[in-house]
Amino acid sequence: MLEKVFEKVSIIFSYNREKNSFTIYKMGWRKRDYFIKRMAYHHKVREGRDLFHIFHVTDDNLDFRIRFDTENLEWILEEVSDGSAN
Amino acid sequence: MDLPINPANPSLIHIDLNSCFATVMQQAHIQLRGKPLVIAAYTTLGGCILSPSIEAKKLGIKTGMRVGEAKKICPEVIVRQSDTDLIRDASSKFIKICEDYSPDVIPKSIDEVVINFTEAESYWKKSLPEIGKEIKNRFHKEIGEWIFCNVGIATNRMLAKLASSLHKPDGLDVINQENIYKIYSSIKLVDFPGINTMYQIRLNAAGIFTPLDFLSAKNDYLRKVVFKGIAGHYWYLRLRGYEVDDFISTRKSFGQEYSLGEKTSDQEKLAKLIMMLTEKMGRRLRASGQTAQGVHLGLLYDDWTFWHKGKKFSEFLYTTSELFQKVMFIFSRQPVKKIVRKIAVTCFDFVPADSQTLSLFEDSIEKKRKVSLAVDEINDRYGEYVISPALMIESKKTILDRIAFGNRK
Repeated sequence: MLEKVFEKVSIIFSYNREKNSFTIYKMGWRKRDYFIKRMAYHHKVREGRDLFHIFHVTDDNLDFRIRFDTENLEWILEEVSDGSAN
Repeated sequence: MDLPINPANPSLIHIDLNSCFATVMQQAHIQLRGKPLVIAAYTTLGGCILSPSIEAKKLGIKTGMRVGEAKKICPEVIVRQSDTDLIRDASSKFIKICEDYSPDVIPKSIDEVVINFTEAESYWKKSLPEIGKEIKNRFHKEIGEWIFCNVGIATNRMLAKLASSLHKPDGLDVINQENIYKIYSSIKLVDFPGINTMYQIRLNAAGIFTPLDFLSAKNDYLRKVVFKGIAGHYWYLRLRGYEVDDFISTRKSFGQEYSLGEKTSDQEKLAKLIMMLTEKMGRRLRASGQTAQGVHLGLLYDDWTFWHKGKKFSEFLYTTSELFQKVMFIFSRQPVKKIVRKIAVTCFDFVPADSQTLSLFEDSIEKKRKVSLAVDEINDRYGEYVISPALMIESKKTILDRIAFGNRK
């Protein structure tokens, strides 16, 4: 089941200077915390001059597609999926 | 005398990402891994399947099937639309890795490249199979652990592609002078890239039933009897490992097509869709720095009849409105106005935009062109369709971004 969401979320994120790596630890959405176990893919999207970072992450139950808007520093949860057929 | 098998060392690597659209989707969505998944143009039952996952392929689901057919084979199949940004990003990472090994990397499509090592092999001090394995490992490490590819190594493009298809998924094979007879004896004619069932019938009619028959056929026989033209000679060389496909073809047309989600015969709605397609086509034409003298319109109707018409004009078409006017001129000549299910617009007969003599007394052409280019630049900078023709206001997102099959240019 795939659900399009497009809602602002709270994120705990870290950047490691030595390894030049980044990790999303926790996402707060609809009064619940989701602990992110793995980042499956990260890529960038440009819409005109706006740059978005797209993170595909999972808490091992659900997959999330999260967008980070570099213009206004907002985190948007775009999609949630449990990997089953719609 | 018969030409021997090319004795040269293989210098081409063909790399093909397995079930690209589906595999990349599984890479990004961990919950989809190991499950039958299809990427389709639309998720509705009539949607065309663009890429089944390896798990779906094992069940017999194939590219080109309808979603409904796949559901009959496996009711639990997961259907998703393609994520074009994701696929393009994976494809650019894939090509970037390949470019680390040779300056001569030829992308054949979004998920296929040929790497030519003719000049670069001695630099690497490694064999091509070792380089192939290294590239595979880098795909796992740098793109994602779920990304698999087939690697084929040979002396020409056709054999390299054939080699890459021998052990799917995740294979690595070499075709050379030593094993070519063994490989030809284990495959069918339709396994050759470029030989489809129609070609197979043609070959069968000429007494060629197996790849070994094909290989033993004389040059003259292939040229004069089987293919009745130069294609026969090219096949004679290809089968022996000589390269005949290393030409760069020039683009002769730009086209856009769209399958209507809601089929309609409403001429106003169709005009809006034609405007959107023409705008997309026009942007590509202008980005190439050319003007077109011909346009073509194709309409597939709901009763599966097809009407199309192309026309050449004396004017050099450049702006979207110039192109749209001509396409609508053809559109108005439809003999019967029926329900349309698919629209295709194409422009052709290119002339470089900067090599035309413009009128000394009429400066509006130059002005229109400059305005068109400025609008394209604004859209590139601030996002697709920030400025668009008024006809498109209501339907900006109707025509989805798609990734074309075939050559990348």
